Amino acid sequence: MAIHALEVLLRMALTFAVIVTLVFFATRLSGSPIDFIVGEGLTSEDREILIRYYALDRSWWEQYRAFLMGFVDGQFGMSFVERRPVSAIVADRLWPSLQLLLPAIGLTLAVALPLGILAAVYRTSWIGSAIMSVAFLGYAVPNFVLAVFMILVLAYTLDWLPVVGNGTALHFIMPTITLAAGLIAALTRFTRNAMLDVLGQDYMRTARAKGLAEHEVILGHGLRNASITILSVVGLQIAGLAAAGSVVVESIFAWPGIGDLLVRSAMRRDYPVLQFGVLTVALAVLVVNALVDLAYAWADPRLRQAEAA
Amino acid sequence: MRRILTTTAAVTLVACSLSAAAAQEITVAAGNMSSYLDPGRDHSNVGSQFYFNIFDPLIHRDYAKVEPEWLPGLAVAWELVSPTTMELRLREGVRFHNGDVMTADDVVFSVNRMVQATFPPYQVRMRDRLSNIDRAEKVDELTVRIHVEREEPLWETLLNLQQLFIVPEAYVKSLAGDPDAIEDDDYEAMSLAPVGTGPYRVAEFVPGQRIVYERFDDFWGEPAPLERATVRHVPEVASRLTALRTGEADIATNIAPDQLALLEADPEIETVGSNTALFHVVIFNSNHEKLEDPRMRRALSLAIDRELLNETLWLGQAIVPSSHTMAEYGPLYMPELETFYHDPDEARQLLEEVGYDGFEVVYDMHSPSYYTNDTLAAQAIMEMWAAVGINGRIDASPEWTGNDPAMMARTWSNPMYFADPFGSFGVMWAPGGPSESEGRFTTDADYAADWEAFRFGKTVEDRREAYGQLMERIKADPPVLPLWRPYESWAMRQAVSWAPQPGHIPYVLDFRAGAIAIDGTN
Repeated sequence: MAIHALEVLLRMALTFAVIVTLVFFATRLSGSPIDFIVGEGLTSEDREILIRYYALDRSWWEQYRAFLMGFVDGQFGMSFVERRPVSAIVADRLWPSLQLLLPAIGLTLAVALPLGILAAVYRTSWIGSAIMSVAFLGYAVPNFVLAVFMILVLAYTLDWLPVVGNGTALHFIMPTITLAAGLIAALTRFTRNAMLDVLGQDYMRTARAKGLAEHEVILGHGLRNASITILSVVGLQIAGLAAAGSVVVESIFAWPGIGDLLVRSAMRRDYPVLQFGVLTVALAVLVVNALVDLAYAWADPRLRQAEAA
Repeated sequence: MRRILTTTAAVTLVACSLSAAAAQEITVAAGNMSSYLDPGRDHSNVGSQFYFNIFDPLIHRDYAKVEPEWLPGLAVAWELVSPTTMELRLREGVRFHNGDVMTADDVVFSVNRMVQATFPPYQVRMRDRLSNIDRAEKVDELTVRIHVEREEPLWETLLNLQQLFIVPEAYVKSLAGDPDAIEDDDYEAMSLAPVGTGPYRVAEFVPGQRIVYERFDDFWGEPAPLERATVRHVPEVASRLTALRTGEADIATNIAPDQLALLEADPEIETVGSNTALFHVVIFNSNHEKLEDPRMRRALSLAIDRELLNETLWLGQAIVPSSHTMAEYGPLYMPELETFYHDPDEARQLLEEVGYDGFEVVYDMHSPSYYTNDTLAAQAIMEMWAAVGINGRIDASPEWTGNDPAMMARTWSNPMYFADPFGSFGVMWAPGGPSESEGRFTTDADYAADWEAFRFGKTVEDRREAYGQLMERIKADPPVLPLWRPYESWAMRQAVSWAPQPGHIPYVLDFRAGAIAIDGTN
C-alpha cells in the first residue's frame, strides 16, 4: 500500500511538471493581452510605454523564467488587470468555490446512490422506471435552464430565495441544486448500471444462501463491488466541477468563485491569473484522481495484493 | 391562504423599505465592476461609476445641469494672476478619509503626479488631455498656483476632471517602498485602497466583486445621504432584475433595452434612462489604398440610414447626431451643423464617380460584441451598403484592428471624457492623437491650425467657428461616422429615488446629497 501510494504521488508530481509547462505555452497561444490590458484609443508612443510598463514586451523565455520564479516567492506573479499578487486573487475565490462544490457533491451522493440502488433493485417495477425517467429528464435539461427556471419561480415570483452571492444559508439552495442536478442524473444512471452488473453475480446468490438479510446483501456485497465504477464517476464529476464546470452557475448567481475568475481572465488574456488558475484546477484534478486511485485500492483487495506481490 | 401570503408579502415589503430608510443603506447590483480604483489613470466607463463618491476636484460644477455652472470644490476661489497662471485658494479644514488634513502640498502632489507624470499610466492621460498644464506650485498652506503653457480657455473644465481629483500625498507615499518617496508601486497600492476627501469612504473594495461605501462623518460639505452603500458585481442581467424583486438590490445598472417592457409592468420597480454621453461610431481607414479617395468613404457613410437603425434597434430612444456634437458641450453644442446625413442617391453618384469596381469592404467588429445592438447594426449596415451597390462583409474578431493598415472600416466608440468637444472629438481626432498615430487618419497643417484654434480659441465664438471648420473637413474627408448616443437604463425599487445627473460624464453612480433619496429620508 505504501509503495502504491508513493507511485501515485510520483506520477502526480511528474504530470504536474508537464502541465506547468504546457499551461504556460498554451495560454499564450490564445492571443495577445496588449489590447485588453493597455486599452484602445492610444497613440502608438503611449502604447509602447504601457507595453513596457506591464512587461508585455518580454521574450517567452524571460516570461517563463518569471513564471517559475513565481512558484518560489509564492505570489505567482502580478495580475495584469488587478495589479495584485495572483495568489491573493485566487485565495479570494477558492473558498467560495469549495463552498459551492462540497454541498453539491454531498447532495449528489445523498440522492443519487439510494436512487441508483433502488432503480436497480426495482428495475422491473414502476419505481425503477419512474426514477430513470426523472434521471433522464435531469440529464437532458441544461443547468442554466434549470437555474433560470428556479430563479423565475422561487425568487422572482414567490420571493422565497435570494439570488445574489453567498451571504446566507438560503443563498446556497438554488446554486447547489443547479450544480447537483446534472450530477445526480448522471450518477443515478451509473449507480444503477453498476449495481445491475453485480446483482446477477454468483457471490450475491452465495451471500443470500448464507442467510444474510437482503439489505446486507445489497449494500455489503452489491454496493461494495459496484463501488469501483461509482468512485470513478464521482472522481470525474468532482474533477469536472473543479475545472471551471461551475462557471455558468457562478455567473448566474453572482457567486465569486474560481470558474468565473478563469473565464474572465481568459477573456482578458490576464495570463498570470489564467495560468495559475488553470494550475490550481489541474492540481485539484490530480489530487482527486490520486484519491480515487487510493480509494480503488481500498475498495478492491485484489489491487492492494497485486501491488504488494 | 392567498390573502395571508399577500399580507405577509406586503408586511415584509413595508418592513424592508422601513428598515432601508432607517438604516439608510442600499445595495446596487452592477453589471460591471472595477478591477482597480485610481481616478488618475482610469478613464473607463466601468471606473467612472465609482470615483465621484470618494474624491473631490478643486472645482465642482452643478451636476444637475447640462450647462456648466462652476462651484467651489476643494478650492473656494480662483483667479488668473497672469495669462498662464491660476491662483487657487483652498478650502480650510478639509479632511481625507484617513484623518489627514488637506494642505497645498496634497494639491500640488495630486496635480503634478498627473502633469509631470513619471508613472506610465499617468503619462498617457497627461498627453491626451493635460498636456497644456505645466505644473502646480505651493504659495502657502492654503494657496496654490497652477501654470499652463498656453492661455487656457478650459481652466474650470480641466480642474474638474476625474484625473485631477485630489489624493493625500503622505498616505500615497507611505504605501510601498520608501514611505517618504513616490514610486510606481505606491500608485498601484493606492488603486486597491483609495483615500479621498469625498462624502463616502471606501470601507471595503474587492476588485471585480464589490465596493462598500460608508458615510464619511468629517466630510467638508453636505453630509452623505446614505450610511452605507454596497455595489456588487452581478454579471447576469436576469439576476440583477431578480435581485431587485427579492429586495437584495435597490438599484440595478445596465438594463438591456428588451427588459424594459417587463419592468414597466412591475409596480414595485421604476426605471430611469439617459442617453449616454458617448457615440458608437464607425471608423474608416483613410489611408487604406482602396479607401484613400474621400468620395469612397463619403459613399460608405451616406449609405447608412441611422434614423432607421435608431427606430428599429433602439425603438427611437437613441440620439442620432447631425455632427460630432452633444448637448453636454454647453456653449460649443452645435446641432445646426450637418456633418453626417443619409443620402443613398448621393452615395451611388459618388461610387460612380470614383469608378467603384465592387471590391469587398470589410467591416470589423469586436467578438464577443460589447456594444449594445452592435451586431444587429453591423448586419443592417451591410444591407444598406448593398442597397447602393457596396459589397460589404463583416469580420468579427477579438483583436483590436484600429491600428492595422489592412483595416477598412470597424466599430468603435468615442466617449465624452469631459464636457467639451476637446473631451471627446478633440482627444480622439487630435493631430498626432490616437487615430492619426494608429495610421488610419492623417492630418495636415490646415487641419492642425483649425484644431489649435478650436482647442485654444480665446472666445467661445472663436472656438465655435474653428470647430465648425473642423467638422467641414471631417464631412469632406470622413474618418468617422458617429452612429448614435446609446440609451442606458437603470432600474430601482420604488423606495429609491435616483437618476443619472446630466452634468456628469457617463455612468457616474452619484450618491451625494441631492442625487439620491430613500423614502423617509431627504
